[in-house]
Amino acid sequence: MSGHIVILGSGPGGYVAAIRAAQLGARVTVIERDAVGGVCLNCGCIPSKALLSVVELGDKAKKAADLGLLLEGSVGYDLTRMVARKNKIVDGLVKGIGTLFKTWSIEVLQGTGQLIDSRSVKVVKRDGSETTVTGDAIVIATGSSWPNLPLFPVDGKQIMTSKDALDADRAPATLLIVGGGVEGCEFAALFSGMGTGVVMVEMMPRILPLEDEEISAMMSRELTKRGVTTHVGTTVEKVERLDGSVKALLKNGMSVETEQVLVSVGRGLNSKGIGLEKVGVAVGARGEIVVDARMETNVAGIYAIGDVVGKAMLAHVASAQGKIAVENILGHRREIDYRVVPAGIFTLPEIGRVGLTEQQAREEARGRGDNPETAVKVGRFRYAGLGKAQGTGDTAGLFKIIADAGSGRLRGAHILGAHATDLIHELALAMEARLTVSQITDMIHAHPTFAEGILEAAEDVNGMAIHLARKQSR
Amino acid sequence: MEPTDLRYHQEHEWIRVEGKLATLGISNFAQDALGDIVFIDMPKAGTMVTAGQQIGEVESTKTTSSIYTPVSGKVAKTNAELKDHPELVNADPYGKGWIAVIELSSPKEVDALMTAAQYESFLASQKE
Repeated sequence: MSGHIVILGSGPGGYVAAIRAAQLGARVTVIERDAVGGVCLNCGCIPSKALLSVVELGDKAKKAADLGLLLEGSVGYDLTRMVARKNKIVDGLVKGIGTLFKTWSIEVLQGTGQLIDSRSVKVVKRDGSETTVTGDAIVIATGSSWPNLPLFPVDGKQIMTSKDALDADRAPATLLIVGGGVEGCEFAALFSGMGTGVVMVEMMPRILPLEDEEISAMMSRELTKRGVTTHVGTTVEKVERLDGSVKALLKNGMSVETEQVLVSVGRGLNSKGIGLEKVGVAVGARGEIVVDARMETNVAGIYAIGDVVGKAMLAHVASAQGKIAVENILGHRREIDYRVVPAGIFTLPEIGRVGLTEQQAREEARGRGDNPETAVKVGRFRYAGLGKAQGTGDTAGLFKIIADAGSGRLRGAHILGAHATDLIHELALAMEARLTVSQITDMIHAHPTFAEGILEAAEDVNGMAIHLARKQSR
Repeated sequence: MEPTDLRYHQEHEWIRVEGKLATLGISNFAQDALGDIVFIDMPKAGTMVTAGQQIGEVESTKTTSSIYTPVSGKVAKTNAELKDHPELVNADPYGKGWIAVIELSSPKEVDALMTAAQYESFLASQKE
């Protein structure tokens, strides 16, 4: 089937959906109010990695003398140049999507779209002129944005969002990061590397509260190594803007005064003001658009993908949802499956994860009526045990594999350490293919590589890792 | 030769007792076995500790190992220098590489710890 698909938003959900739809023969119109590529490309994933990569290099350069590398002077950062480089990278990638769109004859309308009926979107262009696009199906991919929290009056200077922080012209002497989640930890790694005294406040009892407890504890230590001070189990009650600093009062009674504050809590879903009520698209309590496994809303022909559907708020999940939505529109019936969703945290060092945490796996076993201690097996291997890690100096880190004791199938995997976000994919593929731990250990892993850590951790699930000292039976 | 003014614990910690205060560190054997130390997770000042309890961790480029206290009491202070210079434990385990000072609550516990000579024979027996 061909047809005309109108896509509202061109982030990693919308633009991927557009290209897949065009590949399958559809005519595609994309409506974008900001820059093509969305938050991910313009002020999220890519920009932060562009900056973090410089600090990662700086971290290594600081150890130059120990490594026998001769560098003159001390390591310093020119944030203005770092941001300029970041902007150039982003521009290049945005243009790249534009080129892809051209080759697939995808039409882009720059403006703000609003549904006026179940097949039509009114677009207010940047110059104020209006036009209406009517298609055979609509895909809503409007994403999420920085929430407006009355407690934190963001001015982009003293009190910032991550968007502002990515365009900062210098690193502050001190910075309070509100929120110890993924974004908070990434920015803590970034700014601490540039010499900023970072204080992080997390409401939950631990940072990265959604990660495996062991991994979150290790990251807490890695941040301490970087000089980051963390306060968990408390919240910021009040912020007061002073001359040249911001004073924050914490619920635990402490007060923290820093040059700047970075607000890294929550994201608002962009489901308001796009005409959903007019056409009767159902929206949940958090503002999320309700969709089925084919990504279709309650209104036939209207689909929604990405952050705005409020599932895993990850760029690659949005892309996967986007492909599913347009494939269904174009007659290829497919359903989304969230069983295997690898995710990366770009701290220094990185975290890669897929599937359940150890706690979730044990809880699940308990729920089935099994003994949570024996029904789940965990294999671990430290980076320090790898010849490759010794060679590169990336000795901090852990491979952790969680398996079902009976079947040997993987339930989850977590890696903290160098290249963790890439390494996790071997384990994600293993989970996708429902492989067992012994199928991983049967595969020859190349030496010397970080991937050997996966082999060793998989072997350790059954106490058979070659490079681990014999465990004392107690 | 291990310093004779210290007492030693089988988990390779040492203490130096001065009045009610015991300075704690890890032995030369321990630092050598661990290799290049990159981080020391220390207890917070004011924490009450019991003899035999794990009070922290030493992370090296080879492994991570627990620090146990051989004595009970209150952590009076920790070595702030180690935050930026954990390698001091490698360089000077019995001096600048001290880890914490504990205010003894049961000074008698010290008597049960090994002398330098006893620790040396303990190390020798471990090698066999």
